[in-house]
Amino acid sequence: MSGIDAVRKIVETEGQARRIVDEAAAKGQQIIAEALEQAEQSRQEAIARARQRREEALRDAKEKAETEARQSDRETEQILDTYRKLSEGKKDAAVQKAVELILNA
Amino acid sequence: MSETLEKLQNRILSDARLKADERIKEARAKAQQILEEGRQRAQKESDEITARANVEAESIRRSILSSKVRVNRLRILDEKNRIVQEIISSVEDQLSSIAKSDQFESTAQRFVAEAVKAVDSDQPIVRIGFKDATKKNLDGVSRALPKGGKLVIDEKPIDDIGGVVATDPEGRVVFNNTFKSRLERLDNQLLTLIASAVFGG
Repeated sequence: MSGIDAVRKIVETEGQARRIVDEAAAKGQQIIAEALEQAEQSRQEAIARARQRREEALRDAKEKAETEARQSDRETEQILDTYRKLSEGKKDAAVQKAVELILNA
Repeated sequence: MSETLEKLQNRILSDARLKADERIKEARAKAQQILEEGRQRAQKESDEITARANVEAESIRRSILSSKVRVNRLRILDEKNRIVQEIISSVEDQLSSIAKSDQFESTAQRFVAEAVKAVDSDQPIVRIGFKDATKKNLDGVSRALPKGGKLVIDEKPIDDIGGVVATDPEGRVVFNNTFKSRLERLDNQLLTLIASAVFGG
């Protein structure tokens, strides 16, 4: 083999070597790009799940508050009913005491 | 020569493959890092959304509930007030018809005596007016007046419910001893008494 042939062979081999490295670099870029895309997709999914949980939490809170509000209404009705019964039973005595106060104070 | 060349070629390709493997390895490590950082960031943002949602949910709950509690407290206060006002109205009715009761004369005398004492004059002018009061059941009232005093009997109840108003002769000092003014003067005591009598405590 002549010296020129040897140099040509070396040049060809170096070209092949460069292609191997370039292909690996391109593949590496692709791996990183896919990872970025996957990370963003996972992030979007996590945020969507969190937003859904938020909606559920707000709905639950509203329902819970409305249940408690209805309970407050029932308790208030009971208190009002008690007051009405008390006033019916004690009105005459209260009037009498008040009249005594105004007359004798 | 040929063998040396082949070795050199192999060496060049071997180095290139090593370098390529290294690039891929680095890319995979970088990808792993990207995924891990992405996962952490997503977790952080998700946690922030959840934390804000919890605060917001509690705020909504409190807002709905406090508004309802406020309305119900007002309903209770309104009802108590209605009951108390109803009782005060009955009290006014009873007071306005006191002239028909046994205690009228003594009460009228006492009201006059209090009014006369309050104006502190030798010649007080006392107006008296109760619903359904007759001259007869006002006879004893003049006994509560000092010698120079003057009694004026109104046919109509003074201040709607009835009572006594005393002045000095110049009209500078006036003492209003009508039921209405007594109700006003004793307002706090009256409300406490009624509330205690009806609702206890």
